[in-house]
Amino acid sequence: MEEVPIIEMKGIVKIYPDGTKALKGVDFSVKKGEIHGLLGENGAGKTTLMKILSGMLPPTEGKIYVNGREVRFKSPADALANGIGMVHQHFTLVEVFDALHNIILGMEGHGLFSKIDVDKARAKLQKLMDELNFQVPLEVPVETLPVGVQQRIEILKVLYRNVDVLILDEPTAVLTPIEVKELFDVLRKLKEQGKTIIFISHKLREVMEITDRVTVLRKGEVIGTVNTNEATPQLLARMMVGRDVVLRIQKPPKEPGEPILRVENLWVKGDRGEDAVKGLSFEVRAGEIFGIAGVEGNGQTELIEAITGLRKIEKGRVILNGKDITGRPPKELYNLGVAHIPEDRTHMGLILDMTVAENSILGLHWNAKFTGALNSIKWNTVKAYAQELIEKFEIVAPGVDAPVKSLSGGNQQKLIVAREVSKNPELIVASQPTRGVDVASTEYIRNYLVKLRNENKAVLLVSADLDEVLQLSDRMAIMYEGQFVGIVKPEEVTEEQIGLMMGGIKDES
Amino acid sequence: MKADRSMISSFIKPIMESLIAVAIGVLIGAIVLKFSGYSPIKAYVALVKGAVGSAYGWSMTLSAATPIILTALTFAISARTGIFNIGAEGTVYFGAIAAIVFTNMFANPIWGLIGGIMAGILWALPAALLKVYRGVHEVISTIMLNWIAFFTALYLVLGPLANPNDPNKTLEVPASARLPLLMRGSELSLAFIIAIAAAIITYYILWHTVLGFELRASGYNERAARYGGINPKKAIIWSFLIGGIMSGIAGATEVMGRPPSYAISQGMANIYGYGFDGIGVSLVGRNHPIGIIFSGIFFGALKAGATYMQIDAGVPLEMVKVVQGIIVVAVAVPGLWDLVKKVVRR
Amino acid sequence: MKKSVLALFLIGVLAFSVVASGCIGGEKTTTPQTTEEKPQYAGKIAIVYDVGGRGDLSFNDMAYLGASRAAKDFNLELKEVQSKQESDYLPNLRTLAQSGEYTIIIAVGFMMTDAIKQVADEFPNQKFAIIDGYVPDKPNVMSILFKENEGSALVGALAGLIAANDGKDKVGAVLGIEIPVLYKFEGGYRFGVAWAEDYYKKKTGKDVDIQVLYTYTGSFTDPAKGKTAAQAQLGQGAWVIYQIAGAVGLGVFDAVGEYLQSQGKEFGPPFAIGVDSAQDWIKPGVIIASMMKRVDVGVYKAVEAAVKGTFKGGIVELGLADGGVGVSTIDDVKAMFNSLPEDVKKKKLEELGFKSEDELFAKLEETRKQVPDWIWQAVDELKQKILSGEIVVPKAMNKEQIEAIRNAKSWQEMEELAKQWESSS
Repeated sequence: MEEVPIIEMKGIVKIYPDGTKALKGVDFSVKKGEIHGLLGENGAGKTTLMKILSGMLPPTEGKIYVNGREVRFKSPADALANGIGMVHQHFTLVEVFDALHNIILGMEGHGLFSKIDVDKARAKLQKLMDELNFQVPLEVPVETLPVGVQQRIEILKVLYRNVDVLILDEPTAVLTPIEVKELFDVLRKLKEQGKTIIFISHKLREVMEITDRVTVLRKGEVIGTVNTNEATPQLLARMMVGRDVVLRIQKPPKEPGEPILRVENLWVKGDRGEDAVKGLSFEVRAGEIFGIAGVEGNGQTELIEAITGLRKIEKGRVILNGKDITGRPPKELYNLGVAHIPEDRTHMGLILDMTVAENSILGLHWNAKFTGALNSIKWNTVKAYAQELIEKFEIVAPGVDAPVKSLSGGNQQKLIVAREVSKNPELIVASQPTRGVDVASTEYIRNYLVKLRNENKAVLLVSADLDEVLQLSDRMAIMYEGQFVGIVKPEEVTEEQIGLMMGGIKDES
Repeated sequence: MKADRSMISSFIKPIMESLIAVAIGVLIGAIVLKFSGYSPIKAYVALVKGAVGSAYGWSMTLSAATPIILTALTFAISARTGIFNIGAEGTVYFGAIAAIVFTNMFANPIWGLIGGIMAGILWALPAALLKVYRGVHEVISTIMLNWIAFFTALYLVLGPLANPNDPNKTLEVPASARLPLLMRGSELSLAFIIAIAAAIITYYILWHTVLGFELRASGYNERAARYGGINPKKAIIWSFLIGGIMSGIAGATEVMGRPPSYAISQGMANIYGYGFDGIGVSLVGRNHPIGIIFSGIFFGALKAGATYMQIDAGVPLEMVKVVQGIIVVAVAVPGLWDLVKKVVRR
Repeated sequence: MKKSVLALFLIGVLAFSVVASGCIGGEKTTTPQTTEEKPQYAGKIAIVYDVGGRGDLSFNDMAYLGASRAAKDFNLELKEVQSKQESDYLPNLRTLAQSGEYTIIIAVGFMMTDAIKQVADEFPNQKFAIIDGYVPDKPNVMSILFKENEGSALVGALAGLIAANDGKDKVGAVLGIEIPVLYKFEGGYRFGVAWAEDYYKKKTGKDVDIQVLYTYTGSFTDPAKGKTAAQAQLGQGAWVIYQIAGAVGLGVFDAVGEYLQSQGKEFGPPFAIGVDSAQDWIKPGVIIASMMKRVDVGVYKAVEAAVKGTFKGGIVELGLADGGVGVSTIDDVKAMFNSLPEDVKKKKLEELGFKSEDELFAKLEETRKQVPDWIWQAVDELKQKILSGEIVVPKAMNKEQIEAIRNAKSWQEMEELAKQWESSS
């Protein structure tokens, strides 16, 4: 029997203003009353696709049909009017309002003095909650509620608007295991009531557990749609990460030396106070690139910030060359030979309003080489040094006095790399070193990291780009929810195994 | 070199913007004057003549510029560190009081300046420490500290420091501790030179020392500064302290080098308001010490010219204030624009 | 995009508020008539106002009243100069003196004392006068002072007797910034209240103990502070409140007025007492009288002396006897009100809800009738005794002296202090 899909997206292309091609002609369809998983790595285009479906982004090309009827959404309100609502990964609640007012926010009526019928709204919500057997306190400011409850409020907010299709973007990312279980119960209940749910995730186990069908996206393209009961985690993992290797980096074999960095039972909290790094232990040796792969948000950022002195360490030790550096400030670490290429170049690695010359000495501006009497900075020396970096690392910049924001992203990143590796460090911590960088610069930076390894430096590499980790690392760890699922040698694992581990499943075979 | 062009344009652009803003302000002021029945030409001629048309005019302009250049530096150095320190006002009071106390103990201008500097440091500390250790927003703390300073100073002026021979003011700075006048029969004293020197030193600190680098880095981007091995807390404390020193000196030089009083009047009438004026001066000078020298002189000229606008052109003070207010707002808009954008972006 | 709109909006609001406040300030004091058509031209005089400026309905406006009357009487051209802040005094005076065009330059307010001294030395041939400033030793400066303690004693007696007569035991005073000039007012007021206690006991045989609540608000310009202070005093039971705080006093009048309104009363008590000029008209029914400091008389006398060639440097102190201070009469109020420009008068009448001046003055008469005649007569009795020298009102000039008065038990004790201070100075 040929049933008309409730959602049908055809030939969706999305090109962002900066030229990034996020979606390359995606066909996607969802049957009424199913839970449909949308699986993929970072940057696969899952969220972009769903933002288009929910009216937040216009597609560059392509058509959308709801119940077989073509629609064009100018705003999320249009999508809601067609029964499609999305719950975002980052909540959009007014923290000081209670749940009730958050839910009815935007539905008060449009006149300046329209009356809000709070009692009617409360009665309607109560009915909704009773049907779902799913309660939230309506009269308490949402900021005082746990994240799981806040998420339910987000879901209620969408349901209150009478949607048929509910899109959930990485809903379990912020939840505890018990909360995840409760969420799944709610989703099943919604399905019983005939709602359609699109579930975006990168977690294989969850996708296997809750969905009816799964569509896998990779780099803006649909790899395929499968019925969940016919799929295995292995199959999904292969679909998710299987790829052609684009770049080849020459990496001669090398026997690693003494351990440079040792991390022992490290515990670090995230910004919301949750445990982001849970008892990690590992070491990075001289002449070795130790890569950390994994989907972003699994504690990599917190781990790196803790090691480089930017985040408080709750428990455990960090040892550099036999010296305990736990909780030491960045300046001290730099003086001991740590270099750090941070993941966020525009907010951390560089000060965009300052000049190329000024940025070229950030983090070594106190160095005797650059300072004179009365702690003055010898700008002539600094400018000559910056010029040297520009030439040596082939950075395209209007001049050493130009503000760094006038450089392209790739050249900004090269400036950071240039600055950090020129410190002649013992340990280089490189986090997403080639993100958003053009191909030529990427290759240059990757080769440089290998060069440092060949010069017997220790390199700790964190990247969401699996190719990068696979190609560069001598050993690699896969991080999932604050822990390493495994530490392996890239040449000894299959992509399927890595895909499973990134989805949180350790393949014991 | 390629770099030169961008350097020059980064200097020229704000100057051009400011000049255009002055022209717009003057024009609107002229329209207001015209509609109120005064001759704009006569009024502006009097303004310019009074401010810069004679040696005495210049002396009034520069002496009026002196304290506000110093208080503007307080605001500027903090703004460069990403802080909105509006505590200059209260610091001026204590700087003046310390100068009076010190010069009455040791009749020497150096001691007066030391007193001002020490008062500036001490009164900058509470807001700095509250900010760094308790996260109290500096706007709140400095406003409250200004009031504490006001009433404390009021008490000191009235009680312990009251002048036994003249109930309307405090003890005077003894003659041997006064700053020499640069011109007879004027109010222009060495204080002006001190203010210029302070601006140049502030410039040097901000752009030519490791400390200044760290202050500016923290001001632009606290996260990046932390990543760069800079302790933003230390930067904040330093910026408060240097800023405090500037306002402390402003208070000290105002009682040591501004005839006729050489003392604090009752109700602090002769040292009131400079801290707030300094914010405007700093904004117009784009929070740059060298820009502040010029904008301070510009504000000073407006003050000096006001006298002539009244006496020569017969424009009543209220109208003078309106016209000057229009000019100041027009001139401040570019700087204010930057500031507001920065706040909104947060 | 949105952010820049917001930023633009913020700047717009700021710019508007600055300009608007300037405009409102400008509107408050309409342009004074600086020149008048005169048959014979006899020269120019100049008057420099302090930062309070024209339009304070008090000190500076009184000075203008005296100067303009003198200008009219002696055919002079009057030049008015306002001061934005204290640092303007010296340049203003110096610029005027430099021109050498003025018969006399009058500085209004003690804050110009240092500036006057300096300019007087620089321009020994220029005649100056200063109101309220103590400059005893310059041959070209006439220093005009007032015995505010005497006038304050009279309104103190008025306040004390109104309270006693209504069986109340508290009166109030709301003052400006705590400066020694105000001690003269406070001391005189306390003396008057103490004298009233004694008078009332003699008249009725009843013992009364009236407490004086006093608040130094720390401002001369912020009416909100005066209002808060007066509200607090009313809450504590103050029956009459004397304002000695310039523009801050306007808030005192508001507070008393609102209190009466809340009680549904058209007239006091409680009453307020005005200061410096005859302020009664500002809130009819609320202000029972004002302690007038006749700055106009002082200014007029200085101009007169300069024109007639009788000018002499040194101190001229004006008390009750010279008409320099006193309790306002209805005639004084009329004169003060009529000195306002016509359009301002019209507007004020409208604000107060009167159709004509006569209605206003009738209401003022009515206000005064709220207080029994014998009280007014008692106040007059005190005035006569001060004039005859039978009673000496203490003049507190510093913290120590005001403390002594605050601690004194009776008016006799205070008088004793007065005599001590006079003999020692």
